[in-house]
Amino acid sequence: MSARELASRVLYELKEKFDNVAVKVVSRDSVMLKIWNNQPGVLQMWRDFITYLLLGKQRRVAILEFRVSSPEEVVSAVRRIEDYVVRVEESELYADLPEVKKPALLQGGHDKKVVEYLSDPKPLAEAMVTSALNSGAERVAGTLELEDIEIAVATSRGFDEVYRKTEVMAYLRSFRGDVSGHWAWGSTSLDLKSLGEVGSRSAEVLNYARTKSVFTPGRYDVILSPLVIGNLMNYVASMASGMAILIGMSFLAKKNIGDLVASESFTLVDIPRDTSLPGFTPFDDEGVETYNKPIIDRGKLSSILHNTATGRIFRSPSTGNAGWTNPRPWNLVIEAGNSSLDDMISDVDKGYIILNNWYTRLQNYVEGQFSTVARDLVLEVRDGSIEGYVDRVRIADRFETLLKSVKAMSRDLYDVAWWEVRIPTRAPYVLVENINLTKPAI
Amino acid sequence: MVDEQLLAKALDLALSQGVTYAEVRFQEDLTDSLIMRNGRVLSLSTSAIRGVGVRVLVGGALGFAATDRVTRESIESTVAEAISRARAITPLMKTPIEFDESRVGRASYEVASKKSFESFSLEDRVELGREVYKSIGNALKKARLSVLTFGFTTHTQRKLVLNSDGAYVRSSIPRISVWTNFVEHSPDKGTIQRFIDFGAVGGVEWLKEWKVVDEASQEASNLERVLLEGVEPPKEDVDVVVGSEIVGLIVHESAGHPMEADRILGREAAQAGESYVKPDMIGVFEVGNKYATVIEDPTIPGSYGFYLYDDEGVPARARHLYREGLLYEPLHNRHTAKVFRTHSNGAARAMNYASEPIIRMSNTYLKPGDMDFEELLEDVKLGVYMKSYMEWNIDDVRWNQRYVGLESYLIVGGEISKPVRNPVLEVTTKGFYSKISGAGRDLKFYPGTCGKGEPSQGVPVWFGGPDVKLTKIKLGVAV
Repeated sequence: MSARELASRVLYELKEKFDNVAVKVVSRDSVMLKIWNNQPGVLQMWRDFITYLLLGKQRRVAILEFRVSSPEEVVSAVRRIEDYVVRVEESELYADLPEVKKPALLQGGHDKKVVEYLSDPKPLAEAMVTSALNSGAERVAGTLELEDIEIAVATSRGFDEVYRKTEVMAYLRSFRGDVSGHWAWGSTSLDLKSLGEVGSRSAEVLNYARTKSVFTPGRYDVILSPLVIGNLMNYVASMASGMAILIGMSFLAKKNIGDLVASESFTLVDIPRDTSLPGFTPFDDEGVETYNKPIIDRGKLSSILHNTATGRIFRSPSTGNAGWTNPRPWNLVIEAGNSSLDDMISDVDKGYIILNNWYTRLQNYVEGQFSTVARDLVLEVRDGSIEGYVDRVRIADRFETLLKSVKAMSRDLYDVAWWEVRIPTRAPYVLVENINLTKPAI
Repeated sequence: MVDEQLLAKALDLALSQGVTYAEVRFQEDLTDSLIMRNGRVLSLSTSAIRGVGVRVLVGGALGFAATDRVTRESIESTVAEAISRARAITPLMKTPIEFDESRVGRASYEVASKKSFESFSLEDRVELGREVYKSIGNALKKARLSVLTFGFTTHTQRKLVLNSDGAYVRSSIPRISVWTNFVEHSPDKGTIQRFIDFGAVGGVEWLKEWKVVDEASQEASNLERVLLEGVEPPKEDVDVVVGSEIVGLIVHESAGHPMEADRILGREAAQAGESYVKPDMIGVFEVGNKYATVIEDPTIPGSYGFYLYDDEGVPARARHLYREGLLYEPLHNRHTAKVFRTHSNGAARAMNYASEPIIRMSNTYLKPGDMDFEELLEDVKLGVYMKSYMEWNIDDVRWNQRYVGLESYLIVGGEISKPVRNPVLEVTTKGFYSKISGAGRDLKFYPGTCGKGEPSQGVPVWFGGPDVKLTKIKLGVAV
């Protein structure tokens, strides 16, 4: 049974029993090779169907997820919900599913080469590891994931569409002694050159680790790698969700469309219709055709991301970002600037290049107070040159301060996706001024 | 639950194809959730995630495959694929993976709720959410409640694990959790935000113990004072009394994670990171003083991380990660145990059927001392008491960490004084465990969902400890 057949069958069984039904079925054939100490740690594979349901009845809303054997099991499990859902009050999140026109489907986004390597990803993993070792790494760890995915959405408003895509996520961490570098790549197609660069870029940076410097906490100019700005903009874009604003999980809750929230040179765009990035989709979970839209446009807040329900609350049309409860960005791009990384380095008198980060956490989402810890090398820049390295410093500031401190972006963009960048992001190197960096004294 | 003959036959099939080890696990996770905003229902959600995960060791390579179709054909083809694809990568295995000869169990156990999930109806759950919203609104005198979300979740997890070394473990575990997230606002002072959660294994009997409405409204009232009256923390070195909620998080992050043997060996290097601990430091390296005893115990009845056998069939037991300042016993699965020339101590867990079992914490806590709270305060001329937190993080070797206090107070002359806003405890692992100069006698636990692995697996854990006093610490303040 295909994803579309399963979605149609579940819809057929349920549409008379509920006022609103949307069914999303994700069928996946995936393989993931986890690498550590230069060899595979485990090879994992999945072939399954994940069925998601939005059910509305008498203005009540239920969201369901199933990974079970058959459509009959889904329908049987829903029987309990039928009576259950009407026992609560009407939801402010209820909105009738939209009548939508047939969306323009997208060309591309499915690469047969990815499918061919699903049965044996070994040569690709070898290429990544060899590239890193040849570029100076002593040992490497990382992940290579290949996926062939079919996504079908059917709704009780007559929407019934499907699309197929492939995904490649590759990331590698290279070690030499006590220092490490990291690079990541995400795409819908297989490109051996880019896979090799995951290895070489993660290792080549180790050559800068010549002199370890003493770090003093304070405010510095900081160059953020595409991985770091990608991670931070995953948070910012997610906080542009109408639901995040409604539930107090966004510093944008205090802003209006048109307010200045970033440097005027900074633009962040949701690009669901770019089929080269693996988050692409021609339609959202309600069947609404997607479109590319700036979230931040030349520094100004430009879009809040909506499904039909949050749009109704904000008196806005859906932006094609459903998520039934929580609207979400699909793919992100940070617009390029006109600098090179070397230009940026030469512009920094006293600062750092942060190559990777993790563990971004917030003290207060409404205020945007956050910190995040650098992992891998942090390069010290003095008077326009890389002078040495420190490790594991922490950015501790506010998102709005960071965004308004953007001074320059590189003209080269990089497609990144990894453990800390779950929304695929096309990002430049970004120079931010006067950012608070910390590290413990004891 | 599942026809166990299906799993037994799959195991036989794997063994007939020359594997060194095979494991077949049926797992079913059933979840019901309610989410409310400002006392009104947003949505109900339900999930049923059920299937079979197969793991094989062949030619020194480890393969894992999963299927959501619990049929003979599907399970057998999953076994065949796990074997063939693992076999394909054996040429890359410079150091073959091996499992130790740990004793595995044959057992069946079920946690019985004192009060079933069904005994607390949907209407009761909604009413609880309304009461939390109303009581917090009423608790605020000057500040305004901007927004409050509330969640109520029940989860039943059933597993049947069979492996080629004779393990047979059938289990059924119910879990309940309640959480709220709220924002208080003052026109002059801005906002303050708090996430509170409760979680345990068992049924709705826990609600009586948790007193969710009273706890949440008391915290909201206390945080209003922090918002309206909070001062900056002292700039000089001061004694800091760290509340059990933060102590629990600290031991989870800086004792539990670095003592996971897979991290020590580098298996998580590109994802959840490595460890400052190296194999030759076990039993040798002093990470702290006599107060630094951290225990990890999956067998605590009612605990959120409760289990009696891990997903490799190994019996669970308490482990001392740090003992009186010394690195003592890492968490092991059967692979890392082989490398360390020891036996597994039963730490392998999988989030759902589609996840490989990896080394996980369960319930991690700092050993309590013998002081009451007043005794911890009494010698402090000027200090800070950090009771709760929102922001935290730690580096990827689990050494350099940061916790930002939320409900916090000055300590002046041995007594709690004015509230303090956003004090930052930024400290190394050794710095923390070496600076403890007193520990309370009360042990409290807090729930969490710990993330690790690729694909990321979130598993329920408790972390806890007593209140502790740290001597002469320089605090920062969040910008």
